[in-house]
Amino acid sequence: MIKRSFFSLTPQRLVYDLPEPDLKEPESIPLPASLSILLSEAIDSTKQTLLKKGDTVKKGEKLRLYDDSTAYTISPVAGTIKLFDSYSDDFGKIATFIVIKPDKNPASEADTIKLDTIEDIKFADKFLRKLPGAPPFGILANDDIKIKTIVITCADTDLLSTTSQFIGLMYTDEIKAGAKILKAMTQVPKICIAIPEALSTRANFDSIQVIKTSNLYPSTLPAMIMKDHLNMILPAGKTPEDMGVCFIRAEALVSLARVFQTKEAVFDKILTIISKNGTRFRVHATIGTPLSNIFTQFNLHVNERDRIIVGGPMRGFATFTPHQPVRPDMDTIIIQDRDIIPQLSDYPCVNCGNCIRICPANIPVNLLVRYLEADQYEEAADRFDLGSCIECGLCAYVCTARIPLYQYIRLGKHELLTLRADA
Amino acid sequence: MTNNKLTVSHAPFWHDGDSLFKMNLNILLALLPAALFGFIQFGAPALGVVALSISTAMIWELIMNLMAKKPLTIGDLDSAVIGMIFGIMLPATAPWWLVVVGTFVAVIIGKMIFGGIGANPFNPALIGMSFLMLSWKVMFDFDAAYVNYDFGFTALAPLAALKSQGAAAVTDLFPTGNLIMGQQVGAIGSTFGVGIILGGIYLILRGYIRWEISLSFILGIIITSFGFNMANPEVYGGPAIHLFSGYTLLGAFFLATENSSSPVNKIPMFIYGFSAAVMIILMRNVGVYADGTVLAILLLNLVNPIIDTIRPKALGKAGNNA
Repeated sequence: MIKRSFFSLTPQRLVYDLPEPDLKEPESIPLPASLSILLSEAIDSTKQTLLKKGDTVKKGEKLRLYDDSTAYTISPVAGTIKLFDSYSDDFGKIATFIVIKPDKNPASEADTIKLDTIEDIKFADKFLRKLPGAPPFGILANDDIKIKTIVITCADTDLLSTTSQFIGLMYTDEIKAGAKILKAMTQVPKICIAIPEALSTRANFDSIQVIKTSNLYPSTLPAMIMKDHLNMILPAGKTPEDMGVCFIRAEALVSLARVFQTKEAVFDKILTIISKNGTRFRVHATIGTPLSNIFTQFNLHVNERDRIIVGGPMRGFATFTPHQPVRPDMDTIIIQDRDIIPQLSDYPCVNCGNCIRICPANIPVNLLVRYLEADQYEEAADRFDLGSCIECGLCAYVCTARIPLYQYIRLGKHELLTLRADA
Repeated sequence: MTNNKLTVSHAPFWHDGDSLFKMNLNILLALLPAALFGFIQFGAPALGVVALSISTAMIWELIMNLMAKKPLTIGDLDSAVIGMIFGIMLPATAPWWLVVVGTFVAVIIGKMIFGGIGANPFNPALIGMSFLMLSWKVMFDFDAAYVNYDFGFTALAPLAALKSQGAAAVTDLFPTGNLIMGQQVGAIGSTFGVGIILGGIYLILRGYIRWEISLSFILGIIITSFGFNMANPEVYGGPAIHLFSGYTLLGAFFLATENSSSPVNKIPMFIYGFSAAVMIILMRNVGVYADGTVLAILLLNLVNPIIDTIRPKALGKAGNNA
């Protein structure tokens, strides 16, 4: 944890980490006894589901709940469905998780579904949404959204994380191949790649336009890349997609290239595990593998009241169980010891101004939080720039009163969306 | 590890380690040089006043916490800071009841009834101080307060002398060097200029007070008093006597910079500090008070919410800030 420096006349500068100089191929995690995958659709108790307990599935088989479902997931193994049930995330969004028990024998040719790969975005949206790296094919295939620029991110968006940079260095050729396929699919005029300044000399992406991001947090967040490098200011409350910019992880392109090479879906997710003492372990694990399996392999202990962080220390989320499965959009797993978990407080804002000085979006956080605490979400958005927040978490990091500011802001945005949807 | 309960919370999972306790502890530390000098200069009564002030301020907050059935908040040291600042603004001869009444007004009326820490629109110590100054004016006549002391320097309160006799008569009585080194009559912690400045610079470097306010405040004092002095050097004192006597330096580093009653945006901070200083000199030179620091800063506390609306446009926000 980076502490406040003794002299702090200027705001704290937080710097992104770089990957280790000698890159090694990640270690493999064996297939676990059961895998859990997530399907982003709620179970409707009035309807008969297509899935049944005890169904056998093939590797690469598309799983849906109902005939008219648009959401789907792909089984990463050949096996049997042990159970499926509702899952609700930290904002109460309901989804379905499916537990699959893999067959003992390694999947044979007959158990694997072959893909007839064509360079068409509709095809990608239909079969490849759940690739490792979570490619945003849903957005790219949507005719209502006109994407003019695709930014491939080889720069990690959070502190401590180096997975994207690692992939950028290790699998440069596959990224280039994937970018070519993506370009053919989408016909998007401009594809660029965001790489940290310090790293750009080591990677070579000859034909793709390179954006060199600074090493200062939060310069690799989408809104900041758009502002600094694409010369676009993200309007308050809009997403990059609304502005015609789509961000895609480098890993998604690697997966895309492999799909076209092998003609079948791939499920190997590259992760970085950061232990309590800061050691990094790079692994590839099948999507759906419980994190506890990975921890056991490296002999990492998770004790009572420790914290498992999925993502980075500024923007990640804390999972409630070590059995949390590996998901296509995971990058970094951090185990935080219970002794260094900072205490939060329910103090009111004392107006010290630290958040104002550090906020990259110029939001009057000191005033905003007073409205959020009082549930005045409309007021907060209209007068105190709730919608401008780029969600970097710096305000809560420097808050002297230790108010969970980022939580208030995320909740405020969520509640505001609900309010406006109901209206 | 299968059934361990994990800590779950929202991002960010890091914190820079700062807390209100640390902030207030540093403010107390920064006030120590000025306070210690006061104890040496004015003896044990000064220590008594400050100790009583800090303890009663904390006790008032504790009583209020208990009465309101709220969690006890004295551990954040906020009322200790109020008590400390309040104590060193009193003359060493202040009677005990004056201190107790003063901290009552400062902590209960100045802070707690608005909702406690962070909710006070005015600097609590100044609320208490202005209450005492308006109610028992005679207690703040520093010439009378130290009548039984035998100092090795001019035992006249500089600002009161300046007011009654004019600049021409008093300039020679108070060499600037003496004023800075604490060779003057005044409140317990307001006389030792070097100590206050050191404390202030420490807080600025540590990032606990905002340098913009202190700097513009001092500039405001210098520019305004220089202007008056140029217009009529016979009557109006120069920048040195205004800056290094009375509560001016305390105001610049500890009173005007109180967090919740001062602005946080860049331009408002400059306006706030500068205007407070201009008001002080106006009160001293044109108004009836010998030292207008307390009321001038309270006045600027009042307009703080309005000037703090001058702020940079947020990312991606169209139109004007409401």
